[in-house]
Formats: sequence, structure tokens, C-alpha cells
Amino acid sequence: MRGTAAIYRRDIKKFLSNPFVIIMTLFMPIMYLVVFGNAMGGAITGVPVGIVQEEPYLDPTPLFQSSSEALSRLAQPGEAPTFAVRFFSSETSAKGALAAGGLVAVVVFPSEVSNTHAVRLYLDSSDFAVPALVESGVRGVLQQQGFGGGLEVNRVYGEIDYFQFFGVGVIVMAIFMSTMMGGVLSLIRDWELGTIEGYLVTRVKRSSIVLGIVGSGTTKGFLAGTVIFVVVLAITGVPFPDAGTTLLVLLVLAMISAGLTSLVFFIASRLRNQQSFAAVNGFLNLMLFMTSGAFYPVLGMPGWLRALTVVNPEYYAVHALRSLILRGQGLGAIAVDLLALGLFAGLCILLGISTFRRTLE
Amino acid sequence: MTPVERGQDPEIIRVEHLTKVFGRGATAITAVDDVSLSIRRSEIFGILGPNGAGKSTLIRILTTLLTPTAGSARVAGFDLVREPGRIRSVIGVCPQAGTLDLELTARDNLEFYGHLVDYPRAELAGRIRELLAFAGLEDRAESVVATFSGGMRRRLEIVRAFIHRPLIIFLDEPTIGLDPEARHEVWEQVARLNAEKTTVILTTHYMDEAERLCDRVAFIDGGRLIALDTVERLLGLVPSGDLVEIRFDRITGDVVDRLRDDPRIGFLEVREGTIALRALNGGRLVPALLGVFEEAGLAVTSLSVRTPSLEDLFIYLTGKEFGAGAATNADSTGAGRES
Repeated sequence: MRGTAAIYRRDIKKFLSNPFVIIMTLFMPIMYLVVFGNAMGGAITGVPVGIVQEEPYLDPTPLFQSSSEALSRLAQPGEAPTFAVRFFSSETSAKGALAAGGLVAVVVFPSEVSNTHAVRLYLDSSDFAVPALVESGVRGVLQQQGFGGGLEVNRVYGEIDYFQFFGVGVIVMAIFMSTMMGGVLSLIRDWELGTIEGYLVTRVKRSSIVLGIVGSGTTKGFLAGTVIFVVVLAITGVPFPDAGTTLLVLLVLAMISAGLTSLVFFIASRLRNQQSFAAVNGFLNLMLFMTSGAFYPVLGMPGWLRALTVVNPEYYAVHALRSLILRGQGLGAIAVDLLALGLFAGLCILLGISTFRRTLE
Repeated sequence: MTPVERGQDPEIIRVEHLTKVFGRGATAITAVDDVSLSIRRSEIFGILGPNGAGKSTLIRILTTLLTPTAGSARVAGFDLVREPGRIRSVIGVCPQAGTLDLELTARDNLEFYGHLVDYPRAELAGRIRELLAFAGLEDRAESVVATFSGGMRRRLEIVRAFIHRPLIIFLDEPTIGLDPEARHEVWEQVARLNAEKTTVILTTHYMDEAERLCDRVAFIDGGRLIALDTVERLLGLVPSGDLVEIRFDRITGDVVDRLRDDPRIGFLEVREGTIALRALNGGRLVPALLGVFEEAGLAVTSLSVRTPSLEDLFIYLTGKEFGAGAATNADSTGAGRES
């Protein structure tokens, strides 16, 4: 009994002696509620949809006019309009915008509607929930207008289920997990064990320490990401991309590994024990993964969460990986993502070098 | 290169009014308190003091791991605060806590540091062989350090600090926790390092270690420097010579009085079954002492003569015992205070 009490008291004392961990412990469930609740449950709004009339030099047909108005007005109660409707002058340019990822769907109204001339809907089927929402929205509007002709639905990237949609996101999570376990953790262990005292007194540069740690963490993350990439393709049944695309996938994996490792380094550069490190990582993992669009479309998040995605490297990585793996797109579609990931990693490394201290204080 | 690096300046480290305070307000602790000292090229310099005296803090400041709260220091001619990078290139440090990578082999550990200190690539393998031989670990080069004994780890760590032939090598408690044999091996190693003209600065709370190894020692207590000189001269500070201890079964007041009257005896204390006294050249006094007992018909069960140690000096200087190991010198405490 006395032993039990002693073990109990010792543990409570240690817990209370680290206020940072206490705060993180309390903070985490609240953040889960706010982030997870908003990221997953939000109404999808502002879906970019292109509308085009087949022969634009003719006057707009009444169906085209009334349908586009109805689509623009469509909204769930108390929410912003569901669709952000953009008009295109030609089918080619609209489809071009769809292929580039600027649009989620294109609705083509033929100049003469008949049973043989159906309204055509081109859908970016690589997203989750959004394609179904667009399809039901367009169908509803057409019915409302008393349109009796058919709706021809074309899923641009074929049938993609949630398993495949989510699978791509899991690759990024695997990289984060390995970043937590490797790279920076070895530095934290060096602080804890005092091993670091041995090499801080050598002439090795501060930047060398930072780059070495970020480099080893990046390698570990990259290897983990590559393994999970192959596993995800195998179990979700997504066809293996061609060699060129695979190389681009590996490039994205390397860049997000560098980005996440350097971010974790920067955040953890002043931490001296594994408990605090674990608490920080749990929090970061939640924030980054939830707002990456891996789980649920970013379009379903409230504005403030969407704003966070702009500075979230995982968002760019998930987008790039979906573009490559699910949509079969090339370098053009992921150029912005690569640029963002590169900038992010570079910035975090610089910040990490400036916050890392060479002294024991 | 600075004059110190070229070997022109006989002084390799100068510390002036160095102070280190940890924390603020009521909980502030002054670990190093206004210490000034100078260390000479190629000497073995000991920093002595009980646990918590501030030795490790002083070493950590001099090795750029901690920044001083006040005061200044130059190490090999470089300013501690402004040129820490240049100091790091000319020092080798063996910290008190084990800093080897236990999951790596002895060779891996040395190689890692070889790269950190920028040792010429082509010569590194040869240098590592040399150091492993120096540490007597050639046959264990490929074993992971986790399988090493405490003494082997220490020897490896010391040669690791020496990999780039630093001007100055700092050893923080190099023999702490080692058995007597391992301590002797480390001492030999330190002496050999010094033979290569490296200045060795070591902290210790073992007096015998300092007496055996150091050219000069600095006593630190409560963060303050209380004495600094060669071991010989410091021992000269302890008054009234050797310590003589006589044990007996029975004694008379007459004998005690006769001893007290002897002008060669500086101080005398009687305890239960023991007389402790101090005298210059105590050894020569032995026949006379025995004679006094014999004349009175009393038996002496044992007699010991011992030259004062640094431990006695420390007790003399601070008026307090030096750790638990000082228990046997309780008598000399009294002597020190009185004289």
C-alpha cells in the first residue's frame, strides 16, 4: 500500500513539474474538438464550377440562363452559396481550367437541348464528397427548370472511392510519424542523455548540426513515405503510375519530408525532453493533418481553417500527390506545390538554425 | 594565430572576475563567484573542490557551454564571449557525464568526432588506430561501447577529446565512479597526454588524484577560489608539519605532560585510546615518543606518521571536512583550527 502511494505521488509530482506538458495535455482535446469538428463537419461552400454554352456565339438559351442563376443561388440554410459559378466562352477553356485544378466541375449546356443533346457534366472525381454534391446540385437545378432531357455525367478521373482518396493522405501522415520518431528525436535524446555536451564543444558549426539532423530526418521520412506509397497503391487498388510520374511522386515525398522535419526541428529546437517533444508533435500532427485535406475536402472547412491550409506543407503535399497519383497529372499541376514546399523547408531550416542554441542554457 | 597558439605566451588561460549566477531573485544560485586565475602552458592544472563547489560550471564556461554572468576569460588568447568558435577549435573536452554513443562502436565514436573536428580525411583512419592503441582498446575497436566497462569508456572518451591534438584538454572528473585499477590507467593516460605538451585541466574531488597528477591546483569551495598554487607549496601552508597518531590501551597524565613539554611538538590532542600530534619531521620523533611510553611502562599498540595531504589542507583552509571520505581525519580538523 505504501509502495503504491509512493509510486503514485512520484508520478504526480513529475507531472506537475512540467507545466508545458500539462497545458498541452489539456489543450489537445480542445483543439481536437475545434479542428476536427470544423474540418470534418463543415458545409461545403464555394465549389468552383464552370458553366459554358456549347455554341457561345448564339444567344444564351433560357435553360442556360435560368440554370446558371439557380446554381449561383444554391445554398444550404444559413451558409454561403454552395457553388462559385464561373462562365466560360468555350468548352475547351473550361475543361482546361478543370484539368489544371481551378475548377471542380464543368457544366456544358448544348445550344439545342433534346434527348440526343443532353446537358453534360464533367466532374473532378478525385475529390471526396464534392463531386457527389455537384452532381446532385446540377440535377436538382435542371429538374427545377422543368428540363426533361438527360444529364450526361463524365467522371474525368474515373471512379475514385474514399479509400483511395484517403490513402494518398496517409502517405503524408506516415512521413510525419517517422519525423516524430527519427531525426529530431535523436537530438532531443542527446540533450536528455547529455551526449550533446560532447559535441557542442567541438568546432562543428551550429548550421551543420541543424542540417545534419534535418537531413537524416528527411531520409527517414522519405523512406517511410516511399514504403507507404507502395503499400497504399497495393491495398487501395490505384494503378501504379508511370516512371515519370513515380519520379515526381518521389520528389514530392522528399520535399515534404524535408519540410516536416525542418518544421519539427524549428518548433522543437529549444525543447530538452521527450515528453514535451511528444506533446508538441501530437499537437502539430493534428493541426497539419486535419487541415491538409487528406481526410475531408478543404472546401468543407470554415474560412479560418482554410487560411491555415495556406501555411500547411501537408496541404501542398496531399494536393500534389493526388494530382500525380489519382489524376495522373504532371509537373505543371504540382509546380505551385513544389514551390511552396521548397520555400517552407528553406524557411524552417533558417528559423531552426537561428533558434538552435549551442550552449546549455 | 595568436601569441598563445604560437606558444610564445606562457599563459594559456586567463580568467578574470568570472561569475555565474543561475536563476533569478530568491532562487538564484551563484555557482561561480568572482574567480580570477591564470593557467600556464603545458601544465596539469587541477581544480579541486567538493561536489557542488562550482568546478563543472567553471569548466563549462571555459569550454563555451555556458556564458558567464559577469567577468571575462581568454582561452588560448581568444575571448570567451566574442570568439567561442575559435576556442572550440583548440580545446578538447571530456565532460563529466558520459557522452559516448553507446549504440555505436569505439571506432564509430572516434570517427564521428574526427569529422566534427575536421580532422584531415586521409589521416583520420591512422589517427583513430593510434588513439585506440593509446587507450588500450585496439582489440575492441569494433565492439559497441555499451559493452565496455566504466574504465574503458572513460579511456575512450579521453582519447576522443584528444583526437585533433588540442592545445588544451579539459577533463571533468575523469575518474569518477571508477575502480582503483581503472583510475590508475586513466592517470597514466593523462600523464602521457601531458607529455605531448598539451595543457591538461582537470577537475576532481579526489585529493590523491590532484596530488599525484597536478602541477598546480586551485581549491574551489562555494564557487569561490580559496587557494591556488603548486601542490608542494600549498601543503606548506598546513602548519606544524607531519601528523603523528599513537594508539594505546592505557595512558597517564604524566606521559601527556611530558609530550606537551617537548618543544618539537606543535600541537597535541588526546582522545579515547589515541594521541594525535603534529611535528616537523615527525618520523625522526618516533624513537623519542616510544621512549616516553616505555619509561612510563605503557604499551603502544600502533603508531603512524603521515605527511599532510591536500585533504588536510582543504580542511585547514575551509574549516570543514571534505566529503564523507574525510571521516578518518577528524583529529586533524581540530588541529587545523587551532593552529
